[in-house]
Amino acid sequence: MTQTEHLIKHLPTELGGLDAGPLVRVEHDLEPWEKRCHALADVLDFHKIISTEEKRRGVSALGSEIVGSLTYYERWIVAFANILFQKGILTPEELAVKMDEVMARSGEETTSCTI
Amino acid sequence: MNQQIHDHTPAPDSNHAAPGYYEVMETAVRELLFERKLITPGEIRRQIEVLDSRTPALGAKVVARAWVDPEFKARLLANGRRACEEFGISFYDETDLIVLENTDEVHNLIVCTLCSCYPRPVLGLPPDWYKLKPYRARAVKEPRSLLAEFGTVIPEDVEVRVSDSTATVRYLVLPQRPASTENYSEEQLAALVTRDAMIGVVKAEIPETKEMPQ
Repeated sequence: MTQTEHLIKHLPTELGGLDAGPLVRVEHDLEPWEKRCHALADVLDFHKIISTEEKRRGVSALGSEIVGSLTYYERWIVAFANILFQKGILTPEELAVKMDEVMARSGEETTSCTI
Repeated sequence: MNQQIHDHTPAPDSNHAAPGYYEVMETAVRELLFERKLITPGEIRRQIEVLDSRTPALGAKVVARAWVDPEFKARLLANGRRACEEFGISFYDETDLIVLENTDEVHNLIVCTLCSCYPRPVLGLPPDWYKLKPYRARAVKEPRSLLAEFGTVIPEDVEVRVSDSTATVRYLVLPQRPASTENYSEEQLAALVTRDAMIGVVKAEIPETKEMPQ
């Protein structure tokens, strides 16, 4: 096997049947932002803005390096942003401006964020 | 309505390289979609409440009912979603539910090799290990050794059947009713049914410390 073959034989999220180490029985309660991200995913699916299947493919399309480096809900929100760009619903510039705004606001308020 | 639902306790699997960045992104995406009137804050709040209302206790009630009511069990195995809805559990997504019965001949295990599909309306959100590589990779290849790591040893003459979930088809394992529970009430039976038993990684059992009901 070449050094890169493993990258193309499976999609980054297609894990069935691969060799893997021992089970690690980790669990954690979702952080509030993770739960909001999950609710966002469900609401996007209800409206068919981004379906569950589109989300899965969007995560896979991040590529193995990003999939391997980000946590579960980090992958989701990045995939959502990409899909919303592709659909022309948002632009990268709009998101960058809004993120700066949110960041500046959270700097002032430190912990608050309202929905 | 302003609702403060934030604290910043880091989760064990948080990516400490860029704290806060993805959280900021989530807030920004959500607020842009509010501004576009594509979704509403109320929808997000309601869905958070729905997510909070779903726990394995719901699935346990379904299993206990199936153990005591053969007709309900037949309906549950014929159409899991319809039987759960009849039982009062709403499905907030467009998924089908297939209920897999464990017997003396077959032990069922559920997995999602592609992602993290899971019967969320009846069990809530999946544990982290269900979403991580070792479980997803090995469940379909070496289920018996994986089960052994949960302390579940399936005899060789019992078939292990692994069902791989999809975006629209979800599975729930109907564990075998433990022996010596003839006198248990439905509620007492439900208390024996754990999340992991409904994933199929363990059996439903009477805890060793639990005393038999009078």
